[in-house]
Order: sequence, then structure tokens, then C-alpha cells
Amino acid sequence: MGVRDRFSARLGRRDFLAATGGAFFVCALGERQFTVRTARDVQRVDAAAASLRRPASARRDRVDSLSFATPAPAPGGRRREYWLVARPVRWQVTPRGYDEWHARRVPRVTFRALAYQAWSAGFAHPLGPPRIPGPTLEAEVGDVIVVHFRNGAERLRQALTVHPHGVRYNPEYDGAYLGEFTRAGGFVAPGEEFTYVWEATPDSVGVWPYHDHGPNHTLNTFRGLFGAIVVRERGAARPDREYALFLHNFPPQITGADTVLHCINGRAFAGNTPTLRARVGERVAIHVIGMDSNFHTFHIHGHRWRDSAGAFVDCPTVGPNETITAAFTEDNPGRWLYHCHVFSHQDAGMAGWYLVDPR
Amino acid sequence: MIKTLSLAVALSAVAFAAPPALAAEYPPPANPGKVPAASKKGRKLVVCKRGCRYKTIRAAIKRATGRDLIVVRPGTYREGVQILGRRYDGLRIVGDPKNPRRVRLDGKGVRGAGGQNAFFVNAADGVTIRGFYARNYKANCFFVVNADGYTLDRLVAERCGVYGIYAFNSKGGTMSNSEAYYNNDSGFYIGQTPPQKGRKKRSFVTNVKSYLNVLGFSGTNMRYVTIRRSQFFNNGVGIVPNALRTEKYPPPEENVIADNDVFWNNFNYYRGAPFKIPTSGPAGLSAYPIGIGILLFGSQGTIVENNRIFGNWLVGFGMVQQFELAGDSDPKLREAATLRNNVVRNNRFGLDGKDLNGRDLAYDGSGTGNCFLGNVLTSPVPYLGSQATYAPCPGPSENAIDPTVLGEAAQWIAAQNPKKPETFEQFWLRHPHAPRKGVKPVERYRR
Repeated sequence: MGVRDRFSARLGRRDFLAATGGAFFVCALGERQFTVRTARDVQRVDAAAASLRRPASARRDRVDSLSFATPAPAPGGRRREYWLVARPVRWQVTPRGYDEWHARRVPRVTFRALAYQAWSAGFAHPLGPPRIPGPTLEAEVGDVIVVHFRNGAERLRQALTVHPHGVRYNPEYDGAYLGEFTRAGGFVAPGEEFTYVWEATPDSVGVWPYHDHGPNHTLNTFRGLFGAIVVRERGAARPDREYALFLHNFPPQITGADTVLHCINGRAFAGNTPTLRARVGERVAIHVIGMDSNFHTFHIHGHRWRDSAGAFVDCPTVGPNETITAAFTEDNPGRWLYHCHVFSHQDAGMAGWYLVDPR
Repeated sequence: MIKTLSLAVALSAVAFAAPPALAAEYPPPANPGKVPAASKKGRKLVVCKRGCRYKTIRAAIKRATGRDLIVVRPGTYREGVQILGRRYDGLRIVGDPKNPRRVRLDGKGVRGAGGQNAFFVNAADGVTIRGFYARNYKANCFFVVNADGYTLDRLVAERCGVYGIYAFNSKGGTMSNSEAYYNNDSGFYIGQTPPQKGRKKRSFVTNVKSYLNVLGFSGTNMRYVTIRRSQFFNNGVGIVPNALRTEKYPPPEENVIADNDVFWNNFNYYRGAPFKIPTSGPAGLSAYPIGIGILLFGSQGTIVENNRIFGNWLVGFGMVQQFELAGDSDPKLREAATLRNNVVRNNRFGLDGKDLNGRDLAYDGSGTGNCFLGNVLTSPVPYLGSQATYAPCPGPSENAIDPTVLGEAAQWIAAQNPKKPETFEQFWLRHPHAPRKGVKPVERYRR
């Protein structure tokens, strides 16, 4: 079940975990804090989350009594509606059981993850399988993003939410559990649904994450409850090729594997992670979002691009819930590796292929 | 609006003087009495005609609590089952999910309250009823009221006095994999859903069949309901979300009707029916006009998409303000009458031209934000009235009323007379039906 390579074998499991930053993690849940070292700890956190009752809304300050209007699109803007279900999924981290970069077999790791799944209006039918990351939500400046969210993880028995970055929202649509100050969208119990309404304002242009921010958000985000929001200028053209890559890890406490798996979009090791494609001459945008407690450095062999300050880079740092975008016009055909350049991450799965066809 | 109001007055004048259906009054949550201690895991209580501890379902119910599972073996049970109160939260009652007709509840000859409903659940949350066949009850076959969550699965409801499978004043339920027929109101009915602020509990109607009822599905003041992957055929009308004053919380809103087959709803029960023919219809009408696939009779925020609607000889899809409420002095009821933000998109009408509707679309043009997008229309009369009435999406801030539609609809309603069944057919535009495996079109019921 576990990933047994010489590196981890030599270090020993505990040392390996410590070395890769996956030895333990901390979950704060209600008034309690858990240090999660083992799968049993995960069960304890889940049990505590399941026992958490919907908080009565406290009004300690006059801001707690404020009510807010539902935002509408700006003139010329649109309502962009999405129907998302959070649900459990048997997720294969290494479906091919092979690391093409190092030409070695790796264990097939499957575990019960959580994912956001896109559905048609009214949750009439799924628009595809549940995936990690969840559906990319797109808007232009002036639009409102309307997310009808349903907590479909009945057996988990925990409240879940959708919390966005980058867009504008009032406290009603924050999607965050805030203890006794929680509003309706911050505690969506199993079987319930809530509609979030977020505004794409001029300062929303960019690529941002969304993720669970319910009472057990650390654990459930680690399980896969995250996705991307892309906001463009009104009328702006899409790049010819656009990808959103989440750099994150699955700790062994939730997968049952022997080691932490450093992943890109829920998969580990080249050949399992997304294989990106482009042609020479195409405009490419690769959005990279950190979605764990580590800092990563994103590197594409054979390519450079400008950072937001205008300097050329080929290995920028991306932190938790931060986004960097590698945008360039493709001019270098061939098979390229992309990966996190933190060595312990790249060797534990955080790498993939980028294939560039000649014209 | 003045024209609309005058139409409402005119309609009231021409409609039959039959009073609207009485407001549904149901008992409040009952006192469950002394609750017996339950084991944490719950027990399995088996009911059968011979050799079991419980010979009737009622006897098992008497001993059960919400943690328990009641398994009912095949046979015919002549009783009405009542599940009343919080004591039964989470109770599961299972017949034969693979073949529900083997576990039959028959109300014929059952006297008193037992003859009213095969199953009656009141104020018990999360009850599951699965794998039963009920028939011949005076009121409803399966009835849930005042519940937060319910599962009605793999059921057959035949010839009950009002509704086949029915949930009232409840939320967060499921009706699935079931069929209802020969019911003298609607086969399936979700009514009076309490409005929910912020978080909502949606109800789902999935993979059901409803046929040879007055209405296939009725939704008086229903909310947050998704009707999906189901079949509604050979009814008087297929699906009718509607706003009525006879129940609380009008109008129907935030419903979704998607991926259904709605066809051949031309069952003129006034020419003969396997049930007692209703004497009056809603909102002062003699009845809903017969021959309509889907009708929104007052609705807000409803999405109708990806349905296949064919062979309905009056109209495939219709949408009209609730004209009886539109003339009310109460502004809340007037608002409830109004059509707002309803979206009709990507529906396929007329089965690729092989089984045409009389008219594909009929809309009076009233309200705000109502729109039509990507529908495939095949009828020789694709629109009732002007095409301009059918605004594209997103809907306009104010739709444009079309007096010709209102005039024609008023004519249909004015002409219909239950004592002269043929009057319900005089505006039908008939077309040949395409054959369909296992189903035949029925306009007149014959034994």
C-alpha cells in the first residue's frame, strides 16, 4: 500500500514523515485542538466534527446583527451559476502504479477522499465524475458567481462549506465556520444546500482558490475539497491553453499509505499527475496554487516567464492558498518535466509532464 | 396589469361556480405516549401473515422506535399504518424492494382511520418506507406530513382517493423508483413546503412513473424540489406546480424539472375513469385543461430543462400567472400569482417531429425575468401567440403580456364543461403518436 523507495526506507517512516513535513498536522475544531499523528486521530477529529452542533448566532457587536443584500451583476454583467455537491469518492492517487520520471513502480494508493462535483441545475444530474480539484468557476468583471452548494457527504455527518478567495462577498457568503458568529453559509449540514453569491470586481481579476472552510476545514481540505476561481477582465480572451495546478499533499493519516504523497491535482508521480500539452506559438497560462501547509517552488524545464514585477523567473515560490501564474508564448517543443523544486516534494510525487508539439 | 385583472374577472365569471378545494387541515404532531427503551443498535421486527411475532404492521409499529427496522414479508395486509411522532425518527419499514407488489396493503373494506391512508407519517423525521404496494385507500396511498426528511422508495400507489404518494408541509425528502396510477387527484404530490431562509433542504423526485391520474405530479406551493429522470404520461396534465390560496406559503418556487419524459397527457377522465371523478378543480376552475405536458400555474425561480415533451395535444409546456390570486386585494397573494425568473431551456418538443404536441409553448407573457432558451420546437404551432413573447435568456426585467394568449386560454377554460367531456378536447390539435415500447396512449379509460 505504501510508497517504498530507498529514500524512505533508509530514513525510516517516522523520519521520512518528519523530513517531508507530513509527520503530523493540527486541526482546531470548535473549542478543541487535535494533533493528528495517526489514522485513529483522524477518526477522533471526524467524530468531534460530527458531534459539533450548529452554533446559535451570537450578537456581541453590532456588526453581528448586520444584514446584507444579495449582490446582483453590475450593468452588462451576468449571473454565472454553478451547482456543486461535496461528496466522498474513492480516489486513486497513483492510478497507473508507475512513476514515469524515475521509471519505477510505485504502489497504487486509493483512499476515501472528498471532492466537489459539478451538477446540472437543481442537482438533476452530475456533469462529470467528482474530481480533485473541483470544477473551475469562471467569471468576468461585473459578473456574480452563484454557487448552489449541497453537502452530499451524509455519512461523514459533518458540516461543509465553500469559501472563496479573490472575489468580493459580504459576511453572509463567506462560507466560513466562525464559532458562535457563524452565519448560514458557514455550516451546511449533510443534506442541506446553501447558495453563495460572490462578486467579480475589478480587483478580483486573477486566479484564486476556493475550499472548504467548515468546522473541520483543515482535514476536509486535505481530503480534496478545493478548486479554482478564474476571473478575467470583461471581454478578455482566454489563453490558448490554460491549466490550474494545485500543489498539495495527502498525509498518510488520511490515505493509509506509508508516506506522505506530494500531489498535483490529487495525483502523485509523472504519468499520474496531469500531462499538460501545448503547441509552439500558443499562448499558455499555467496557474499554480498551493493547497497544503508547505511552501513550494514551481519549475518548468526549458521555460521562463515574467513574474508580477516583470522579472524573468523559472522557479517562483508559491505558499499556502497563494497563486502564481506561468504565462508565456510557447517556443520550445519537446517533452518537459514540470515539478515542485522542493526536493523532498518532487521525489514524493509532485512532478508531471509538459508536452510541446512543434507547430 | 389592467387587462390581466379584467381577464381574471372574466375567467371567474365564466368558470364553474364550484368552490375551490378546501384548505388541507392535518392533525398536529401527536403525543407519542410512553416511549419504550430502545437498544442503541435498534432491532429488526419481522411482520408476516404466519409464523412471525407480528401479524400486522401496526402491531410492529406499536413496539418500534426510530432505531428499528421493520421488515414486512409478502402478503396482503388490510390495515392502515400510522407512524406518529418523534419516537419514530429514523424508522425504516421495508417490504420487498425488488418486487413491491408482493407486499400489498389494501384499504378495501378497512373501516375508520385505517382506511384513509396505507401509510401515514406525521411529525416523524427521516422515516424510510420502501418496497410496498398500496391501493384502494380513501385518502392517500403513502402520506408524509410535518417531516424533516423522508424516503419513499420502490412503492406502487394505485387507486387511492386523493393522492398516490404525497408529502405535505415537509422538507428534504426523496420519492424514487416508484409508480402511481388511477388516483383521482395526482399520482405524486409535494405541497406546502415551508420557506427556508439561508440553508435549504431540497427534495428529490427521481425515476418515478405516473400515469392515468388526473394530474401526474402536482406541486401546490412546493419549494426546492427537483423532479428528474421520471415519466409522466397518459394523465390529464403531466406536471403542475401551482400557487393556491388553499394551502400556506404560495407560490411554488425554486423548483427544477429536468430530464423527464412528459408525453401523451391527454387522458380525458370525464369520459370514464378508474376512479371517482373530481367534482371541482383549483382556483374556481372546473378543472385544469386536459392535454398539457407541463403547466406552471404561478411560479417563481423554476427551471424547466432538458425534458422530452411530446404528444400532448393541447400544449407541451404552458406558463400562466395564477389569475385567481392576481385579482386578490392582499398584495402577498398578488405577488404569489406572479411569474418571476422562470427559465425554460434546452427541452426537446415533439420527439424529433415524430410525436407532435398540439402547441409546443404557451405563455401569457406576464411577470418578470421569465425566459426561453435552446428549446427544440417541432409543432406546426410552436408558440401560442407571438414569438416575441417568449423572451430569450437572461429574462427581461419586465416580460411583455400577450393578450392573444390570454384570450385563447380564457376561451379554453370557458368552454370546458365536465358534463360534456368532449368540451375538454375541442381545442386539441391531434397528431399521430409514435409507438413506444410497453406503453400505449390512453385518452379514454376502458376496463
